[in-house]
Amino acid sequence: MTSFNSEKIAEIHRELHSKLPSDAALRVKALEGLLVEKGMIESATIDAWIEHYTEEIGPKRGAHVVARSWLDAAFRDRLMSDAPSALDELGYLGHATGHLKAVENSPEVHNLVVCTLCSCYPFGILGMAPNWYKTAAYRSRAVRDPRGVLAEFGVTIGDEVEVRVWDSTAELRYLVVPQRPAGTDGWDEAALTALVTRNSMIGTDRDLKPDVSGGPA
Amino acid sequence: MDGAHDLGGKQGFGPIDVECDFVAFHEPWQARGWAITRSTFRADWTIDWWRHVRELIDPLDYLSRHYFDSWLQLQTAALIDSGALTLEEAVSGRAAGPAPDAEPMAPKAVAAIAGSAATFDRPIDSAPAFQPGDAVITRRMGAKGHCRLPAYARGRAGRIHAYHGAHIFADDSAKGIERADHIYSVVFEAGALWPEAADRRDRVFLDLWEPYLEQA
Repeated sequence: MTSFNSEKIAEIHRELHSKLPSDAALRVKALEGLLVEKGMIESATIDAWIEHYTEEIGPKRGAHVVARSWLDAAFRDRLMSDAPSALDELGYLGHATGHLKAVENSPEVHNLVVCTLCSCYPFGILGMAPNWYKTAAYRSRAVRDPRGVLAEFGVTIGDEVEVRVWDSTAELRYLVVPQRPAGTDGWDEAALTALVTRNSMIGTDRDLKPDVSGGPA
Repeated sequence: MDGAHDLGGKQGFGPIDVECDFVAFHEPWQARGWAITRSTFRADWTIDWWRHVRELIDPLDYLSRHYFDSWLQLQTAALIDSGALTLEEAVSGRAAGPAPDAEPMAPKAVAAIAGSAATFDRPIDSAPAFQPGDAVITRRMGAKGHCRLPAYARGRAGRIHAYHGAHIFADDSAKGIERADHIYSVVFEAGALWPEAADRRDRVFLDLWEPYLEQA
């Protein structure tokens, strides 16, 4: 039975800190061995999770959603009003997307997503979060100094542009829809998908560049 | 709780390491540790209890250890708390016996689990107290247990941006109690949160349950 008792957990944390080796790799190896011995996991299941999040689930799903929204106005409307159902159309529903909201950039608005309290992230369409997203530096500064954060990513935001920071404090998750770059008229969905960077869907990238992606001339 | 996890607006963490290469996992132990957490979530846990167990890690460990290391620590502690493991087993790495209720996740179940999205909206009998556009003030006090009202946004004036119906209330869910409450996106002018931001047009949006809000 789970205790739901904060003091009991704090005590267990202290015990683990003092009695386990500090090397995390050693602790993972020992824990996996123990859980297999107890019949609680299968190592093949661990392999399957890693393979799934390496091969199947990743930011290319989010990029496809963005590209589809640029090409198909009705899909774009569904994405903005009910993002989970739009994802479901593409078979992309997954972990932490059940209450997804899409927020669009425009010439006047730039959106940036953070989770200051833990590291909430729409894993099902963006895959594993990048390291920087989980750092104390990003989590502390994104809400307070978003323009300074963006500058470190090489993104300069003009004074005329409003920055909207979305702190994921509940079960809603946010997908930034970047602007379609000029010079991509007539591009197909695959070429447009290749333009959309992971960071642009979190908000730490803004101006997508058709000249570097190798899209059709 | 007013823990080290509540990082919004804290200063002194320096520049961001903006590595742009994309790899899902940088080290094998990170991948295996993460996958263990995905495979051993207990039926009587809630996501909010799970997050709270991570918040309860010693603050020095929380801030200094690798992200996936904190997941490993939380999973081990939560499994011990639930009686699935003993502390002695976790320390020795040797099983005293099989887990009584072991039902290991099968490898072929992974794709379906990864492809399902949990939902947290629930029916509610009461009407929402606020409408989009209403001025609100956030609660001044935090809470001893799990709480999703960050310190930087307490006692601040904001406005209801959107209403999302009722979702399972995190503070109660972390205690194993499923109770839904109205939830809103609340928008704050940057100048209402940060002294140095008074002239900026930037805004910060938080998703907040009704118990965190008062009428302005």
